[in-house]
Amino acid sequence: MKPFIERHIVELLQAQDERAIGLLYDHYADALFGVAIKVTKDDALAQDVLQDSFVKIWKNAHKYDAEKARLFTWLFRVVQNTAIDAVRSRQRKMNKEIQTQDSNVYHIPTTTLAIEHLDIQTHANGLEEKYKVVIDALFFQGMTQQEASDELNIPLGTVKSRLKIGLRELRKLFSLAFVLLLL
Amino acid sequence: MSERAHIFLEGDLLERYLMGTTSPIESQEAEHYIEKYPEVKQTYVELQENLEEYASSFSVTAPTYLKSEILEAIRKKPNPTFPVLAVVACGVAILFGLVSFMIWNQNNELLEDRQLTNALIEQLNSDIVSNKESLQSVEEQFMILNNSATKKYVLRGNLRARRLETVAYVNTLEKKSYVHVVSLPKLPDDQVYQMWADVDGVMKPLDILKISKENLVEIPYEERMASFNITIEPKGGSKEATKNSVVSSVDF
Repeated sequence: MKPFIERHIVELLQAQDERAIGLLYDHYADALFGVAIKVTKDDALAQDVLQDSFVKIWKNAHKYDAEKARLFTWLFRVVQNTAIDAVRSRQRKMNKEIQTQDSNVYHIPTTTLAIEHLDIQTHANGLEEKYKVVIDALFFQGMTQQEASDELNIPLGTVKSRLKIGLRELRKLFSLAFVLLLL
Repeated sequence: MSERAHIFLEGDLLERYLMGTTSPIESQEAEHYIEKYPEVKQTYVELQENLEEYASSFSVTAPTYLKSEILEAIRKKPNPTFPVLAVVACGVAILFGLVSFMIWNQNNELLEDRQLTNALIEQLNSDIVSNKESLQSVEEQFMILNNSATKKYVLRGNLRARRLETVAYVNTLEKKSYVHVVSLPKLPDDQVYQMWADVDGVMKPLDILKISKENLVEIPYEERMASFNITIEPKGGSKEATKNSVVSSVDF
């Protein structure tokens, strides 16, 4: 995302100009839909989450502070929280507990991945599984570090260190991808 | 890299701030480090980029119809809390205003009552003082009248003032004199009855007589009094008695 486009979207959004929603959808909907599917593991619920998230983004546009976070970071948080709430709400209705030991927890849904992100996916897949599991639990399952420690049955200190190292490794992987792209 | 920034980056606060799971105090701390240390800011920028890239790696093509549904949803959903909140706020404001007015009104009434009560108390205090003084005066008079040293003299009018009757009391020990005007025949408006004491052959003015609510009226005491006399004098009284206008007299 070009910074000037991001600024333009934010300006439109905070001016409550509907064109902001169109631009947001065009530039971010795929990534955010992917996040919603990752959390809910349910395409239909993920669609509801995406719609609800955009409505929240529209209503709370005035709360966004570009000085504190990139636009995507803010959008990600909104979608992540909305998705987690939706999952918990559904689980309450079904009166079931979260079964995090299910092997499908980190399974990528059957919905087709956006082609333009396949290359990034390849690099992200280069991340060691132990780091990926921790980052997924924290980023997409909305777990606190303590919850991740309990659910993944690894010490809290290990969760912290794997998150940190995993993010560093990601940084290296994406930097490498960028260098390869230049070459 | 500064030691503090290094220690901060060794922790997980920045990662938790990235995910929006920090408390308000923790957020302030993270923002402080981001603002103060360039290396922390750089790490935060990179973390955000990584998050975006990593999340984007799981992108799934979003249904195109959803875009129009979202646009429709934001048009249909004006903030419903506004009118409700506004109505509630108005109601509370009006209620607050009414209650305030009632309290203000009651306060004013209570203040008025208090002022009235204070005035009544002052009046009562004044009455008490006055009554005490009256009681003290009556007690004094009673004591003098019952004193064996007190002598009583009755002055009755002559032909010029038949119905005149005045009683005088003299206590030579206490050196007090009182007079009780029982009845006074009516005089023209420009004349009064004046009482005198004969002292060593000289008439000394004592008081102008008039009917009063009080039974006894103290009059000046003179040593060596030989008699009491009452004359008719011009209005306001005279300094010297008009001898041919004596209407009553009693010798001691």
